[in-house]
Amino acid sequence: MDERFSGFGAFILYTITAGMMLFILAPLLLVMAASVSDSYFVTFPPQGFTLKWYAKVLQDRDFLEAMRLSILLALGTTAGSLLLGVPAAFALVRGRFFGLAAIKGFLLSPLIFPALVTGLALLQVLTKLGSQDARLNLLIGHVVVTSPYVIRTVVTSLQLVDENLEDAARTLGANRLRTFWRVTLPQIASGVAAGGLFAFMVSFDNYPVTMWLANSEYSPVPLILMRQLVNVFDPSVPAMSTIIILMAMVGVLLLEKLVGLRRALAA
Amino acid sequence: MKSSEVRLDRLSKEYGRMVAVDEVSLAIEPGHMVALLGPSGCGKTTCLRMIAGLIRPTSGDVFVNDKRMTDVPVHRRNVGMLFQNYALFPHLTVEENIAFGLEMRGISKADAARKVSEALNLVQLSKFGKRYPAQLSGGQQQRVALGRALVIEPAMLLLDEPLGALDKGLRESMQVELRALQRRLGLTTVMVTHDQDEALTMADKIVVMRDGKLEQVGSATEIYQRPTSKFVAQFIGASNLFEGPIEQRNGNGAVIRVSPELSLQVDQLPPTTSDVMVSIRPEAIVVERAGQTPAAQRANSVTARVDQAVYRGFVSHYYLKTPSGGQIIVFEQNQSQQAGLRYAVGEEVVARWEAPSNHIIARH
Repeated sequence: MDERFSGFGAFILYTITAGMMLFILAPLLLVMAASVSDSYFVTFPPQGFTLKWYAKVLQDRDFLEAMRLSILLALGTTAGSLLLGVPAAFALVRGRFFGLAAIKGFLLSPLIFPALVTGLALLQVLTKLGSQDARLNLLIGHVVVTSPYVIRTVVTSLQLVDENLEDAARTLGANRLRTFWRVTLPQIASGVAAGGLFAFMVSFDNYPVTMWLANSEYSPVPLILMRQLVNVFDPSVPAMSTIIILMAMVGVLLLEKLVGLRRALAA
Repeated sequence: MKSSEVRLDRLSKEYGRMVAVDEVSLAIEPGHMVALLGPSGCGKTTCLRMIAGLIRPTSGDVFVNDKRMTDVPVHRRNVGMLFQNYALFPHLTVEENIAFGLEMRGISKADAARKVSEALNLVQLSKFGKRYPAQLSGGQQQRVALGRALVIEPAMLLLDEPLGALDKGLRESMQVELRALQRRLGLTTVMVTHDQDEALTMADKIVVMRDGKLEQVGSATEIYQRPTSKFVAQFIGASNLFEGPIEQRNGNGAVIRVSPELSLQVDQLPPTTSDVMVSIRPEAIVVERAGQTPAAQRANSVTARVDQAVYRGFVSHYYLKTPSGGQIIVFEQNQSQQAGLRYAVGEEVVARWEAPSNHIIARH
């Protein structure tokens, strides 16, 4: 923004902004503070300072196994939702066919359906289909709930791409596939990255769908966290949460550095 | 570069029930520049894109050197195309933009580098190779686009309102430059424009389009001096249009009665016996002070009052009203020492012109 806010308007704006930031960040800071508390239960304010809960968590086989599963699942989900979402977005923006609006609404519908219901429905369908592998079921379920995020961000950035660029590339001798790789994709890279990041994060901390599709052998992080929370609410729970928060922050910062996430999200 | 002959054979494009291009047939001579001219929505751009292969015709064919191109995909047609918004790849430098087409053709790096530098020279941008499109002005960007289109040695050049986004002065100099380059390379070129000046300046042949159909095809002089329809007479330049019954036939011409005070002597044989439409270009009309000519009723002459007068530098525009309410537009070239307008609003004048300036419009 070129014009600086000033006077009373600026005061109001900054106050509201600060309030929002506090509202969003304070709970996270509380969790982080609780994770270093030298006590057997989660307390606030934290008592003393210790990193022993981190040590405990990082030796916890269940947690490490769940982390591994969640990261692989989130990576697979990201890949899957990009593979489905990017071509779908392309068709929605560039296509001119009957029922376009209806299809768009349908593809984005998992965003508004309660995930709990989506999860249950998926469980029933997958059971009927005889799909026994919890990992595959989780992957399918996560792709269903994350691809709308990819579709939405990619649709937004595709709408900003000048179609003449693609036409120019084609007159210069590029077929449709090479046109996409060499011309379109570089224009929508930030949108694709933002969609991918959404997909990863949504998959990583998804509880409502995961709950239905996981089993005792394959339990992703949110389930382990929940279980731990119910059993013994000691500071290892905030420690796990803090590790996840830090991961998310690193992911966001990295993408911002690489492709300018801010630009993609502002679009 | 070899010149190609381009031929359109009953080319049509329908979108549902809307007919965008309606059976357009056209032959373009090798090395010629043809302008498709018309108001927006007349189908000229659709036509151009069908020649490029970007739009598939509903029916009809495109031939290049008598080879049917209709089923050849755009990326194998070897056409150079310029777009109104330049369509440069923003993530590539000027050099990379120009090299794009060469890369798609699998030309070796060394050959490509040489051709790119030649193309940069051709469009006078040798110093700008490492820049990105966003760092260039509109005119420079269009030069890059031109270099990118020419470096692939295209069979033809297609221009989609290429200079529309430039301001007037730059546009006019680019028109002349582009035309000179096209002539030198002998490159068959099809241009789309809604700007009649651009078409008149640049094209060997002008194709006036309306509602998806060809309205008139001809050289700039033919189109301007002998419009075949009312639409062309009004779209290209300004026209005074008069309509009336034939009063008498004489020799190879006739007298048309437009109003009680105005009759027209035409040197052409009117095509029909019903009402005839005549166009007279505003610059063909001479204005004189009333009383200087004999008041006797003569053909091609009328007494009128100056309704509006506009001084436009090298020319003055006079809008005259005849006693029966008809309007006549006159363009008069100003003399270098002339002090403003020669006739004031409200002044009574006589407008007259020569019989050859009366042009009969065949289609109303």
